Amino acid sequence: MICDQCAERYASVMVKQQQHGQITELHLCDICAAENQSINIVFEKDPLAIHQLLSNWFPISKASINPIRKEITTCPSCDFTFSNFLQLGKFGCPSCYDEFSSQLNEIFKRFHNGNTEHTGKIPASYGTTLKIKKEIEELRKQMQVSIQGEHFEEAARLRDEVKMLSSKLEGGALNGS
Amino acid sequence: MAVERFLQPRASSWMANNGENVDIAMSTRIRLARNLTDFKFPYSFTEDEALKVDKEISSVLLDKGSELDYTFSHISIDELAQLQKEVLIEKHLISPYLAKTQHSGSVLLSQNEELSIMVNEEDHLRIQSLQSGFHLQNAYKIANELDTFLEKNLSYAFHEKYGYLTSCPTNVGTGMRASVMLHLPALTMSHQIQRLIPAISRLGMVVRGIYGEGSQALGNVYQISNQLTLGKSEYEILQDLENMTEQIIQQERKAREAILLNSPSTLEDRVCRSLGVLTHSRLLTTEEAATCLSDVRLGIDLKMIQDMDMSILNELMIFMQPAFLQQYADNPLQPKERDFARAKLFRERLNKKEINSEGEDLA
Ligand SMILES: [Zn+2]
Ligand SMILES: [Zn+2]
Repeated sequence: MICDQCAERYASVMVKQQQHGQITELHLCDICAAENQSINIVFEKDPLAIHQLLSNWFPISKASINPIRKEITTCPSCDFTFSNFLQLGKFGCPSCYDEFSSQLNEIFKRFHNGNTEHTGKIPASYGTTLKIKKEIEELRKQMQVSIQGEHFEEAARLRDEVKMLSSKLEGGALNGS
Repeated sequence: MAVERFLQPRASSWMANNGENVDIAMSTRIRLARNLTDFKFPYSFTEDEALKVDKEISSVLLDKGSELDYTFSHISIDELAQLQKEVLIEKHLISPYLAKTQHSGSVLLSQNEELSIMVNEEDHLRIQSLQSGFHLQNAYKIANELDTFLEKNLSYAFHEKYGYLTSCPTNVGTGMRASVMLHLPALTMSHQIQRLIPAISRLGMVVRGIYGEGSQALGNVYQISNQLTLGKSEYEILQDLENMTEQIIQQERKAREAILLNSPSTLEDRVCRSLGVLTHSRLLTTEEAATCLSDVRLGIDLKMIQDMDMSILNELMIFMQPAFLQQYADNPLQPKERDFARAKLFRERLNKKEINSEGEDLA
């Protein structure tokens, strides 16, 4: 489905609007949705009415129309469904974050000015492993670039570095637990 | 019972009046939201789990808190009378949400009331650090040290991508809400505040009137805090908030100068009338008290009122609230009786001019 507003990008969000007692549905892309006035108004009136924002975001009753959430996800640890989350505006347990992960980027972007990833404090126990993982990720990206540019010596050097870090990660995990 | 100490008509040290820009930036608060792995969040956990969480967190703080040079008092919420809960809310030591909890919850308070750790509020843990004046870095440092200490003894719910996991999607990431309480009478009088608030919101920060809902802030006191918790580090969030607050403080100073320049006698008249109301009324509503307190505060800042201690005004802002007044009167009070008790409290405190240092009892 194409965005009702810009008619360019794919629509990923459905917004219900009430105007003169009539409910209209808008299918918007991320970018147009972020600029959508009706969402802003709801948000600014009461920043705590998260469930209100979320139910505008993903209207629960019309779930079947909305292409991005046909499947019904249930968190096995707390039995919260994605609908529970939308209604309450709260997660049931830490595992919900992984279970609902495919839907969360859009929601977090909205609440956190387009951001979806934590860049702040890391608990010491997670610190070293996480740092190494991020380094490996970065090296892998560089390796892809090197291969595409046919700089194979460079790519091989990066591969060895990844190997070295990976083994460090395994060793670290063994020592850590 | 441990709570008695915290219910006294005693100023917490964060109500004192210390530091730079303290005439405008009254106090600073940092809050960190944390949860334990292996437990459901308070929205879905059972009473049994609630008890376990409370026990686990409390025991760490009570057994090992001294490693951090703190002595904590543990107060179970369900052991408190309604009025006691309300007094703790009015002193900002617990949240209204915690007071209403259906589950086992508690608060751990440091002796100086600068640290308050709520257990089983919306999250398993809410670390709150309060400071008098404008001290974001220092308030964070204290909260962060406690957080780092707790993390060594507890297993926090943390996600590589999302950071600290919280009940509410608006807190995920750093879990940090930093806020500064600002007294902005001149920006309010000159209607500049309406223009300022949307601009601040667009930069990812929120402004609220201190006592909540209405559009007009009671006593011209506003709270500015960070809105986003994801994608920026604690350091960046604090930096942004600090810069924004400094700009607002400068704007307020400019507005004060302008008013003083254009209509000095109108302003002085207003300040002195308000002082008269606070020191001589027999009935004072919350709104009137808040408005007059704001004027008198401004009068002290502009040196129109001499020899009055600002910290008394900070205390009165807290102690003029309904629950505290009833605690003070040792009686349930009807609204009209509260107005009488409030007026009496103001006369007693302001006409004596005694300074309450280091949290000594007022009596
Ligand atoms: Zn669009
Ligand atoms: Zn869950």
